[in-house]
Amino acid sequence: MTYNTSRRLRLLFCLVLTLCLVATSVSADDLTEAEFKRLHQELQISKNDAWRKIPWMISLLNAQQQAAKDQKPIFIWAMDGHPLGCT
Amino acid sequence: MLDRESTFADPEIIKRLQTEFVPVAIDQAYQRRQKDNEGEFYRKIAVQGPRGDGSKGQTTQGLYIAAADGTLLGFTNHRSPDRVKKLIDTALKQFKPSETAPIPVGKTDPQYSSQPPAGGLVVRVHAKILGGYEPTENKWQKIFQSSVSRDNLWITHSEQQSIVDGQIPPAVQKRIARFHLVDNTRGEPPMWKKNEIKNIGFKLDGNKLTGSAVLGTSDGSRGYECQFFGFIETEHGKVTRFDVVAQGDFWGEGRYTTGAPKGRFPLAISFSMADGADTADAIPPQGSRGWVRGYLE
Repeated sequence: MTYNTSRRLRLLFCLVLTLCLVATSVSADDLTEAEFKRLHQELQISKNDAWRKIPWMISLLNAQQQAAKDQKPIFIWAMDGHPLGCT
Repeated sequence: MLDRESTFADPEIIKRLQTEFVPVAIDQAYQRRQKDNEGEFYRKIAVQGPRGDGSKGQTTQGLYIAAADGTLLGFTNHRSPDRVKKLIDTALKQFKPSETAPIPVGKTDPQYSSQPPAGGLVVRVHAKILGGYEPTENKWQKIFQSSVSRDNLWITHSEQQSIVDGQIPPAVQKRIARFHLVDNTRGEPPMWKKNEIKNIGFKLDGNKLTGSAVLGTSDGSRGYECQFFGFIETEHGKVTRFDVVAQGDFWGEGRYTTGAPKGRFPLAISFSMADGADTADAIPPQGSRGWVRGYLE
């Protein structure tokens, strides 16, 4: 292998390594304050969601106590994961 | 989230639940296991239904209508508004108001009756996929594609003090990474194992927070690479503002979160302090279920 070929191979290796590092690194400059403000606002809960008009309790015994007092039946929404959360 | 956008968005169902019932929402993975009065009352109701009481490890999820004495009046696992209206009508025909003694809370099962750390913080966590889904006319898929999930991050009193002193404790960083940098927009997500946190780092410069995180499974099937930006403010020794966004590329899905966009897709996760005004502020973190100590360590 000649000197020039060896040098070219070393330069090519460095270039490939640099490209790999750029591809896998996470740039701290990509998320701007403007984007933060937009996303933070977009992801807030909407108090106008229709299902929020239902006065959900989250303790079954508190619901039982209220039902006993009001003489009403209990409606239980039971899920894997919390129904007011991710499911 | 399907129920929230369909069944419990139906005006008639909303009205009836407001006026004729005491509605309660639970993660039955707790109640079917709890060794206390809450758990006993739930299992008393559930065992009368088709799913049993969960004692064999099976889910008991569904919609139950019960009297205060624990008599089951109706059950369905079908979510269509018409089916739920039928359930309501059938149950109310059987219901007879009567004097029933309230059940005291009593001694609670510490494994499944967790409360936020005293003197700590509750931070609301919302996630949303920002793109990558194939267009669809299916109304259920549309709900998933636009859903914003909800969870809570718990921070202890001593960790809050560290934040006041200008440091985001490593335990908080790892907790955020393991349990909250997840795609929970379609259901219960898989959490990250400790060795799946490739790196996470925050920098607090005055009240401005920046940072990044890289997470991934060993087989490369699921991962998240994101940046953080936000503001954390303190006053009189307490955190008064915790507004942060994580945004980056996610890939993969979990057993209960199938249907993710193909390949890499943009996922944003926001953090903001809970004020107690939302009922969901009192829900324990998904990652803490039955294991609060492990969640907080």
